[in-house]
Amino acid sequence: MNTPAFSKVLIANRGEIACRVIRTLDAMGIASVAIHHPVEAAARHARMAGEAVVIHGDTPVAAHLDGAQIIAAARATGAEAIHPGYGFLSENAGFARAVIEAGLTFIGPDHATIALMGDKISARTFAAAHGVPVAPSVLQTADLADFTARAGKIGFPLLIKAAAGGGGKGMIIVRHADELQAAANRAASEALRYFGDGRIYAETYVEAPRHIEVQVLGDGEGGVIHLHERECSVQRRFQKIIEEAPAPNLPPALREEICTAALRIAMAARYRNAGTVEFILGADGRFFFLEMNTRLQVEHPVTEMITGIDLVRAQIEIAAGAALPAALPAPRISGHAIECRICAEDPARDFLPESGRIGRLAFPTAPWLRFEHGLTEGQAITADFDPMLAKLVTHGPDRETAINRMIEALKQLTLLGVTTNIDYLIRVLDHPAFRAGDLHTGFVSAHGAALALPPPGRQARDHAAILAALGCREFVDLVFATPEPYASMGLWRN
Amino acid sequence: MDRLQSTISVSSEAFRRHDAHNRRLVVELRARQEAARHQRPARDLERLARQKKMPARQRIEKLLDPGTPFLELSTLAANMAYGGDAPSASSIVGIGVVAGREVMIRADDPTVKGGAWYPLTMKKIVRALDIAMENRLPVVHLCDSAGGFLPLQSELFPDKYVGGRIFRNQSLLSKMGVKQLALVFGHCTAGGAYIPGLSDYSVIVRGSGAVFLGGPPLVKAATGEEVTVEELGGAEMHTSVSGTCDWPADNEEHAIALGREIVAQWGRPKKWEAQWQAPEPPLYDPTELYGIIPDDIKTSFDMREVIARIVDGSRFHEYKPNYGTTLVCGFAHIWGFKVGILANNGVLFNDSSIKGAHFIELCNQNNTPLVFLQNITGYMVGREYERRGITKDGAKMIMAQTCSKVPKFTVMCNGSFGAGNYGMCGRAFDGRFLFAWPNSQIGVMGGDQAAKTLAEVKINQIRRNGGDVDPQEIEALISQTRAAYQQQLSAYYSTSELWDDGLLDPVDTRNALGMAISVSLNAPIGEPGYGVFRF
Amino acid sequence: MPFTLLLDGEPCEIEILARQPRLLLAVNGRTYLVEPKAGDGMVRIDGETVAFARAEIGETQFLRIAGRTHVAERAGQGGAGGGGGSGANAVKAPMPGLVIRVHKQAGEAVARGEAVITIESMKLQMALGAPRDGVIATLLAEEGGSFDKDAVLALLVSLEGE
Repeated sequence: MNTPAFSKVLIANRGEIACRVIRTLDAMGIASVAIHHPVEAAARHARMAGEAVVIHGDTPVAAHLDGAQIIAAARATGAEAIHPGYGFLSENAGFARAVIEAGLTFIGPDHATIALMGDKISARTFAAAHGVPVAPSVLQTADLADFTARAGKIGFPLLIKAAAGGGGKGMIIVRHADELQAAANRAASEALRYFGDGRIYAETYVEAPRHIEVQVLGDGEGGVIHLHERECSVQRRFQKIIEEAPAPNLPPALREEICTAALRIAMAARYRNAGTVEFILGADGRFFFLEMNTRLQVEHPVTEMITGIDLVRAQIEIAAGAALPAALPAPRISGHAIECRICAEDPARDFLPESGRIGRLAFPTAPWLRFEHGLTEGQAITADFDPMLAKLVTHGPDRETAINRMIEALKQLTLLGVTTNIDYLIRVLDHPAFRAGDLHTGFVSAHGAALALPPPGRQARDHAAILAALGCREFVDLVFATPEPYASMGLWRN
Repeated sequence: MDRLQSTISVSSEAFRRHDAHNRRLVVELRARQEAARHQRPARDLERLARQKKMPARQRIEKLLDPGTPFLELSTLAANMAYGGDAPSASSIVGIGVVAGREVMIRADDPTVKGGAWYPLTMKKIVRALDIAMENRLPVVHLCDSAGGFLPLQSELFPDKYVGGRIFRNQSLLSKMGVKQLALVFGHCTAGGAYIPGLSDYSVIVRGSGAVFLGGPPLVKAATGEEVTVEELGGAEMHTSVSGTCDWPADNEEHAIALGREIVAQWGRPKKWEAQWQAPEPPLYDPTELYGIIPDDIKTSFDMREVIARIVDGSRFHEYKPNYGTTLVCGFAHIWGFKVGILANNGVLFNDSSIKGAHFIELCNQNNTPLVFLQNITGYMVGREYERRGITKDGAKMIMAQTCSKVPKFTVMCNGSFGAGNYGMCGRAFDGRFLFAWPNSQIGVMGGDQAAKTLAEVKINQIRRNGGDVDPQEIEALISQTRAAYQQQLSAYYSTSELWDDGLLDPVDTRNALGMAISVSLNAPIGEPGYGVFRF
Repeated sequence: MPFTLLLDGEPCEIEILARQPRLLLAVNGRTYLVEPKAGDGMVRIDGETVAFARAEIGETQFLRIAGRTHVAERAGQGGAGGGGGSGANAVKAPMPGLVIRVHKQAGEAVARGEAVITIESMKLQMALGAPRDGVIATLLAEEGGSFDKDAVLALLVSLEGE
C-alpha cells in the first residue's frame, strides 16, 4: 500500500505511546494531531506532532478520558482517524462507537468486539465456547453455601475473588477444603466493601504461573495471523515490568498450542486490528485463557523487534481497509527481544510512585536498542499520570545477548531528578533465575531479598561522595579558588 | 638560576652533634607551644564545656578553609611574664585562608582568666592590627573576653601603644578599606565592646554572645538598674534593636558558617605584581638545618647551607660572590616569590656593609622583597676599621635598609648582636614580619662579651681609684653578668616580650616566609627614596 | 571547617588534604587522589576513570555512577538568609497594625515560612510566617486586635523529639 491510508490522524493519548505512534505516522507521510492538557503543554508528544490541541478537564486524566472533547478536536483539525494508544479510551467501546458515529475511523477493533472482550465473564464464556481452555470456575449465583459446595468440586488450590472486582483486591488463595468456608465469608465481605457487590467467584489457582500472551492481527473479514507469544511474567503490584519475546524455555509444542488457541479466539471473533490474547501457564504445562486486550500493548515493541513488523503501521493499514490472507503463516522470528518499563517508583518502598523533575535525560543509542519515551528535561513528574516514564527495548541474536545489552543500556541510561526503578531492573536482569529463564508472576516477591538494593561498596560510596562534593559550588571554590602559596602548601601548622 | 652545592657531610661528628642539639631545642619549643596552646586549669575547661563553647583554637580550625595552612604568630607571647598565667598572652593571632581569602585571625581565649586582656595582650593585638594595616590584611576577630586585666590597668590602659591603640588601628583599618569581621561568641565588655563596634561586619551568637560597655554588675553599681545580660547586650537586642551587631547566629558553628559566608562576599585582593614562578621544594632536605645550626652560638657556619634549605630548588643567584664575603647577598624564590636575601657569614666589614647597601638599592629598584637571615655579632671594631669609616659604611646599610619601600622579612637564625641587628632589619626597622629560631639570641652584645666588657670597665675603675683588683670579685661579676644576660638574650624572653612575631622550628621557615611574603603583597609599594648617604 | 554532605541520607565528611600538585581528598578518613577534569562527565579517582551523570533539582543532586543512582544534599549549616536563623521563637509585628486573621492556633504545628497571622497596617496586608519549624506555644493575637511595632504575636516551641 503506497498511498497514505489517511491524510491526518489524531492520537488520543500522551507520553511514550503518543510519540511512538507519531513516529510511524511521520514515516507513512500522515499528518499527526496530539492532544494535551494545559499542564503538559511542553510535553514531547505535543511538540512532536504536526498539530497539538489543548483539552480541558478537572484533572489531566479526566481530560484524556473526555471522548466527546477528543472527537471534537479530531473534527476541528480535520483528522480522519483516531489512534487510541493503550490505556485511557483505548478499550472503551462507547468511545469506539462514538468515533465511528462521528464519521471518523477508529484505529482498533469493532466496538462490539471491545465490549465482548471487555467483560471478563463474556470473554471467558466466548473463549470456552471456542475450545480455548479457561480455568475451571464458579460464580456465586445463590447463597454462600451453594457457592462453596460448587467451588469445592473444582479442586484445590483455589482462588476466590470478588465477581465485580479487578486487580488484586480481595483475592484469597485456598489450599484446603476446610479453609474454604472462612475464605468465602471474608472474600464476600471484602467484595461488598470494595465494590459494593458481595458476589464472589472462584477459579483454579495456578501456582507460580507464567504470564504468556500472544499478539494477533486481524482484518475483520476473517483474515487473522499471530505474531508469536510474549513472556510477561515479571510483575510487581500486578503490573508487568519486564517483557520478552519469544518466551524462554517454552517447549515448541506448547508454544504452538498456545498460539493456535489465541488464533482460534481471534478468528472466532472475526477480530479486526491488533489484539493480544493473554494466558496463564502453570508449571505443569496447563494453560488457561485470561483475557483479550483489544488494543496495542505497552510491550508490543518486543514483538516488533523479533518479527520486523511495525505493529502501528499494520494497525493503520488495517484500519484503512487492508486485508490479510485468511491463513498467513506467522512471520519468522529473528533473535530475542526484551523490554523494561522505566517507572518513577521506589523499589525499596514497595514500588510506591515517586514524583520529581527530570533534571537530566541521556540514553544510549544502538541498532539493537529502542528507547521509547515522551520525556523532556525539566519536565515535572507528578502523580497526575501513570508512573511509567519510558521503555527500553533491546534485541540480540539470543536471549543472553539481549539481556547483556539491556543491562549495559540500563547502566548507561541517565534519568535523574526522580527516583526510578532503573537500578532495580538491572538487578532483576542479572539475577541467575532470570538469566535461566526461570520466571513466574511471583518472581519479584520470591527473590525479594536478592533483588533488594545491596548497600554500595565503601569505594563506590566514597566515589559518589567525591562527585557530589565536586558538584557543590562551595566545595569547588574551596578546591580551585584557594590562592597560592596556600594551595600548594596545604594543611600546615607551625 | 644555579643550585647551591652543599658541602655539609651529614655523617660528620659535628653534624650529628648539632642535629641532636637542635632537635632537643625543637622538642622543647613544641612542648612549650603545646602547653601554651592547650594546658589550662581543669575548671576553665569545664566551664567552657558547661557553656557549650568551643575552645578558641577549635573555632579557628572551623573557620579556616580545610586543607590550608595557618601561620600562628607569637604563640609564646607572655611565656615569661605574669608567672605564666597568660599563655599566648590570652589571645591567639595568626594568618590563614577563609573562603579563599587570606585573613588575620585574632581570637580571645576564654580559658585564660575568662579571656582577660593583659598588657602583653594589648601589645599582641596592637601588633596584629599593625600587621593588618601594613599588609592590608582583613581581620576576623573571634570575641570572647572579660575585658582588661584590672590589677595591671596602669600598664594596659593609658600609654600610646596599648588599649586605645587597638581601637585607633581598627578605625584606620576601616578607613583604609581593610575589612574587619567580629564573631561575638562570648562577652565583649567595656573596651572590648568596641571590637565589634568598630568592625565593618559583626555576628553574635544567641544566648552566649553579649556586647556592652558595662556589664550587669557595673550597671547595678552605677545606676541601680537591674538588668539581665540578654536584655543589656544579647544577640536579639543588638541585631533587632540597637543595630550594634548585624547577624544573630543560633550557635557557634552557625556563627562560623555565617562568618565564612561574609568573608566570601569580600572582593579578592588585587596584589601588586611580584615576580612569581611555580614553586619548587628545596633540593636539600630542610631537616638538615638541624645539623647545620651549631650547638654553640660562637661557632660560625656558612649561611648558604641555610639558604639551600629554605629557597625553591635550592637555587640561588649570588650577587658579588667575591666581594664583601661576610655578607652573602643574592636572589632566590621562596614558594615561587622572588626575593633578595641578605645573610651574615661573619662580622660586617666596610666592603660587606657597602655591598649590603648596594644590594638593598637593587632590590628596591626591582620591587624585590628583602629577606634578612641574621647571624651577626656586629660591625667590625678597631682602629683600622674606624679609619676606613666602618661607622659611615654601616650607616649606609642602615639608611638603605630603613628607607626600603619593598617588604622586608627577618629571621633570627643565630646571634643578633650590636648594630648588626640594625643593619640586618631588627625589630625597630618595620620589617613586615620577624621570626626567630629557638637557638637565637638578641642583645647589644653577647653574654661573654658583656661580662668581659663590664669586668674591663670595673678593673679600670678600681685601678683609677688606686685599689687592688680582686680576681675573685671580678670572676663573680663576670658570672653574674653572664647569667643575667643569658636569660634576657634567650629567644623565649624575646618572644615573651613580642620582640618578634614568633619562634619557628627552622624547618618551618620556608612556609612562614612564603605566607608572610604572600600577605605583604596586598599593600602597594611606593617609589624608592633615601636620606643622605654619608660617602 | 570540613565539608559535609548527606549522601543517600547518610552524613559524609570530605576533607581536602592537598590541592597541589594533585588533589587529594579524604572521605570519612579514606584518602583518594582525584583528577577532577578527566573529561566531560568523567573524573579520575586513584587513576581509575569514573564516568558519571549529574542533575541538580533545587538543593538536591542526583548522581548516576556505574549503573547506580545516588542522591546527595549539602548538610545544612543555615546561612545568613531568611533573617532570624532557625533559633528565633517569636512571630513579631514589623509595624503597628490590626490582626486580620489568625491562621494557626496554639498547639498547631507550623513549617518555617508558613503563615501564622495576617495583619493589616498602613493599608497593607501582610502574612506573618513562622520563623522556623515548630509548634505554636502561645498565641498572643486575636482577630481584630491591635498591636504595636515589635509586639510578639505568637511564640513557637520546637517539635517534640528534636
